[in-house]
Amino acid sequence: MLSRVADTIYWLARYMDRTQAMLQVIRTHYQASQDSPSEFSWRSLLYSYGGSLTLEEVGAMERDTPRVLERIILDKDNPTSAYNSVLQARENARAVQDHITQEVWHCLNSFYHAIREGEIPEQIRFGDPLSGIDALMRHGLVFIGAVQNTMPRDESYGYLNLGKLLERALQTTDTLRVQWLNVAAQPLPEREVPQLRYLVHSMSGQELYLKTYRGNFNPDSVLQFVLHNAYFTHSLHSCLNRLSWYFERLKSDSLPESHQKLEFLIGRLANQVKYTDASARNPQQLNEFLLDTRKELLNIAVALGKNYLGKS
Amino acid sequence: MIENSLLTAYQEQPNIWDEMFHQNSIRPEYRNFVSAIENLPNTELARKDELARKLFMSQGVTFTVYSSGEGIEKIFPFDIIPRIIQHAEWLHIEAGIKQRLKALNLFLKDIYHEQFILKDGLIPAALIYSCPQFLREMMNVNVPHDIYTHIAGVDLIRNSDGEFYVLEDNLRTPSGVSYMLENRSITSRLYPDLLPKNQVQPVRKYPELLFRNLMDLADRHISAPTVVLLSPGIYNSAYYEHATLARLMGIELVQGSDLVVNNHYVFMKTTKGLKQVDVIYRRVDDEFLDPLVFRPDSALGVPGMYAAYRKGNVAIVNAMGNGVADDKAVYCYVPEMIRYYLNEEPILKTVPTYQMSDPDLRKMAFERMDKMVIKKTNESGGYGMLIGSSATEQQMQEFREAITQDPRSFIAQPIISLSSTPCYLNGVLQPRRVDLRPYALYGPRGIDIVPGGLTRVALQEGSLVVNSSQGGGSKDTWVLGPDTH
Repeated sequence: MLSRVADTIYWLARYMDRTQAMLQVIRTHYQASQDSPSEFSWRSLLYSYGGSLTLEEVGAMERDTPRVLERIILDKDNPTSAYNSVLQARENARAVQDHITQEVWHCLNSFYHAIREGEIPEQIRFGDPLSGIDALMRHGLVFIGAVQNTMPRDESYGYLNLGKLLERALQTTDTLRVQWLNVAAQPLPEREVPQLRYLVHSMSGQELYLKTYRGNFNPDSVLQFVLHNAYFTHSLHSCLNRLSWYFERLKSDSLPESHQKLEFLIGRLANQVKYTDASARNPQQLNEFLLDTRKELLNIAVALGKNYLGKS
Repeated sequence: MIENSLLTAYQEQPNIWDEMFHQNSIRPEYRNFVSAIENLPNTELARKDELARKLFMSQGVTFTVYSSGEGIEKIFPFDIIPRIIQHAEWLHIEAGIKQRLKALNLFLKDIYHEQFILKDGLIPAALIYSCPQFLREMMNVNVPHDIYTHIAGVDLIRNSDGEFYVLEDNLRTPSGVSYMLENRSITSRLYPDLLPKNQVQPVRKYPELLFRNLMDLADRHISAPTVVLLSPGIYNSAYYEHATLARLMGIELVQGSDLVVNNHYVFMKTTKGLKQVDVIYRRVDDEFLDPLVFRPDSALGVPGMYAAYRKGNVAIVNAMGNGVADDKAVYCYVPEMIRYYLNEEPILKTVPTYQMSDPDLRKMAFERMDKMVIKKTNESGGYGMLIGSSATEQQMQEFREAITQDPRSFIAQPIISLSSTPCYLNGVLQPRRVDLRPYALYGPRGIDIVPGGLTRVALQEGSLVVNSSQGGGSKDTWVLGPDTH
């Protein structure tokens, strides 16, 4: 496969997973904003998805929900908006139309048209934003289904999965780190709710969590769940495990030395996560661990770029 | 006989060949089609029109116009009424194009080798040497199987006498074939069952034939040679077509930056290292192909590609330097070429063409400019053209000055009246002018032309310009089977 094509497919998957992750975070945040409107702030999300806003701009916007939604979902001038993520994914798909199936291309094309104009943006602006966000996420799910159901299990499928899982691991790490600050800021006895719920919710893990821990939200369990649960598709453990599995399958299409390098990096990180002693009791140490994990994930991305995707 | 209001409201135009009507009755090749639609309620056609638009949009059959940083999706306008051609007429067209292509291919081989046609005085040497598309770099380069014009899109028009005339031979990188394929697939959904009932000849074999021809050009004696399609990239307006063709043939779609030349061989950069390329179907113009030989500022091509080609280490489709054969000033010598190389009479007619480098003809053209079409010899896409009948005096004066300064770059032709055909526009049938571009594939096993081609429509009322860059659209083109009328 051409390095450029592999790179384009890999980024296509990254943008799509990023879109899905950020929509889920926004959705949860929006719900939270309806629960406790008085003290609610969009500050953390504006930092993550607001593009280059100054402190004053963030301050002026942080309690204005419609403006925030416009900025982080629909704004064409905000490079980190959901709109631009979808646009990038689609542009990438357009460039490699001959390596993805028609179904996948059609999904991305209609996703792009749906977020660009028409009913969904209207719904988000003037109607019920939750319905609008749900409709967008459904497009994302259709994409995942189309990939699953129609893509041949060749190299392109491999790069789609590498992109998706790497992006997801990054999103989990970032979401956990940013939201844990809110959790840690709460006085001890009140730490159970509601921030922990939101955290699990914003990774689409609420149902599995409830089943696993019988509704008992405490910091240790949540941390254990997000880092190590093998059945939770957004846990770091699960992401890294599958990353290494899909990477292993690329072996026959790789130069041996390239494969070795990446295998080492992925294996080392998986073990670091597995045997970490970061705990809820020590937020400082947890924060360092998460920053370190992030750095390692980026190292993997850089090595992949150098060895497989034709980046120098 | 005609009762449907849509059809009765249609006005035939005087002195113009109408493809569907003849003196208020329907031509035989259209009868089946008309009987299938005449009983439909008017809303049904509107619904079909809307369905066609949606299908094009949802399948991403669009070209993107980039302005102010944002890409705007446009669909190439499509008209739902097909253009229908009788079987016998098609056989005539097919034979005519094959003959023409053979002669043009022999001409290219001759002009880049011994140049007998110049030595025998049939074509003035000055005309060839002054053509900017004549590549001295191609002199004495042997191309695989002596084929230059692997893919040609010959533009035909039907004059008011009902005869087909050749307007242009596009021998460089003709585009539009993906629209021929898409138009057919959309039509089959708009009119279920109508295609088989009318014995419409299929066009779907095009990618298969092209792929077979490309594979035949590989010279490495291996079972699976590497064939690639070289595209300028996603910002090119024809990118959709490049991607479609690559997908339909199952070949790699590459850009210049994906290729690298090492030791006069071309390789592509893959996730598993370098892989040798045997055949390049390029959709990049000659002058951008190799910055070492042609335009040094081009980033679309590959440095060293020309040398690899010259050595025979890679096949390039179409050959470089073909522009000398479809130059508009060389066009008028094609009938001579057919007689000279093939010893046959030309089957298809050509439009009388006056070289503006000839002082007498220039004088004549200046006097009768309102009845002439003036064209720049090396431009296409409907640019650099003046249609006398609709030009202002000032425009004509500008052309007169430009011609006087550089007469070699212009030709004049009498205005040919393109045939017209009904189009479904704004809920009514209206006559619009059309041309026809069949696509011919020339490979080591011979010439194949899929029956049909792209019928381009001038959507502006009264306009004679069908180019998509000038507001043209297209129609599906049906060639009927041998047992139909």
